[in-house]
Amino acid sequence: MLSRTAVAVARRATAAPVLRRSIATTVVRRHAETKVPTAHIKGLSEIKTKEDLFGPGAVDGTVPTDVEQATGLERLEILGKMEGVDVFDMKPLDASRRGTMENPISVRSAGDEQYAGCTGFPADSHNVIWLTMTRERPIERCPECGNVYKMNYVGPEDSHDHHHDDHHHGFEEPKTFADFVKPQYW
Amino acid sequence: MTNLIRSNFQDHPFHLVSPSPWPLNTSVCLLNLTTTGALSMHNFNNIHYLYYIALIGLVSAMFLWFRDIISEGTFLGDHTLAVQRGLNLGIILFIVSEALFFLAIFWAFFHSALTPTVELGAQWPPIGIEPVNPFELPLLNTVILLSSGATITYAHHALIKGEREGALYGSIATILLAIIFTGFQGVEYSVSSFTISDGAFGTCFFFSTGFHGIHVIIGTIFLAVALWRIFAYHLTDNHHVGFEGGILYWHFVDVVWLFLYISVYYWGS
Repeated sequence: MLSRTAVAVARRATAAPVLRRSIATTVVRRHAETKVPTAHIKGLSEIKTKEDLFGPGAVDGTVPTDVEQATGLERLEILGKMEGVDVFDMKPLDASRRGTMENPISVRSAGDEQYAGCTGFPADSHNVIWLTMTRERPIERCPECGNVYKMNYVGPEDSHDHHHDDHHHGFEEPKTFADFVKPQYW
Repeated sequence: MTNLIRSNFQDHPFHLVSPSPWPLNTSVCLLNLTTTGALSMHNFNNIHYLYYIALIGLVSAMFLWFRDIISEGTFLGDHTLAVQRGLNLGIILFIVSEALFFLAIFWAFFHSALTPTVELGAQWPPIGIEPVNPFELPLLNTVILLSSGATITYAHHALIKGEREGALYGSIATILLAIIFTGFQGVEYSVSSFTISDGAFGTCFFFSTGFHGIHVIIGTIFLAVALWRIFAYHLTDNHHVGFEGGILYWHFVDVVWLFLYISVYYWGS
């Protein structure tokens, strides 16, 4: 035991200093050669268009990291995660309560139309029923459990020269029995 | 980030692929490959020309398809975490289906070997067959394949730690070991005293080791592409689904070899 330790100490004493110095100098020399000043990496708040979703790239001779190199949607996701933001908003809808007409469950949407899948209250108490909300008709009520959802439009605002009331080209809501109920019975 | 700016980008993390000719192209090539392959095994005149055309077509379609996927993943940033998870799941399911394919091959072997029929002399290996000595080249090949598993693990850990040279040298060592393995299997085949038409033994031996050899070659190409992508700065320390898929495939090929060595080479001789 003691002799083995002595051998190890002796070996380390002779070999180690030489080796350590050479590696250290190599590292210093390589850093001096290859290190370029790291470019500014845009944070989530500085991202405006797809052109902003490029990293500076890796320094020559190193393995790139995602922050240095990821592009496109992948980069947007990573930048969001770095700031604790889920850019895709993948959380399920609020299932802590049943939505009512007065206090509906809010469904965020960036488009003209949004689907929401209702599984009842409490969640998963019935099969998924898909409800379609539009900007013209944002409120939907689940025919199975009566849960009410309201589309919360967060997309771009309409330009002023666009009169979408005058010529409506999109999907027209089919008439239901309710459309033929006389006003006095409303 | 305001909602207005957010609306410049896709709202969901999934990759809705653009129209591509490769699925149809690959389907046509696969149908041709199967048909012409079966016909050439039944000695249809000149059908092997069509077989090679179909094979070249399939390999070209795969090359161009994977090239598109690399463009989408590395250069367009379409492979978000959700997409990476999907690709990973696809690789795992593919390997499970491959495992079942080899299960069928082993089944065929054990069907003949566990109850050898009277035509085989009621013994295994059958009368007149001189099997390969498992403690010569096959044992060396086992060591080579297991070492390649170690070198690829080294390469993977080096990549995760951001050590480019380790990742490159580890992958190169793995691919060299893989090529040596395939070469030794070629030597083994060329000096074998029996052929694929020498009854149940020859059929099962070349069926199982032959398909394993093809998988080794595919795995080598898989890892060679990953090596090139490390070299070309495609793979980051965190996002390298193709490399991980290649490694998983390589370990699978490794495990199949261990079963082959134990049952076909050792127990079967």
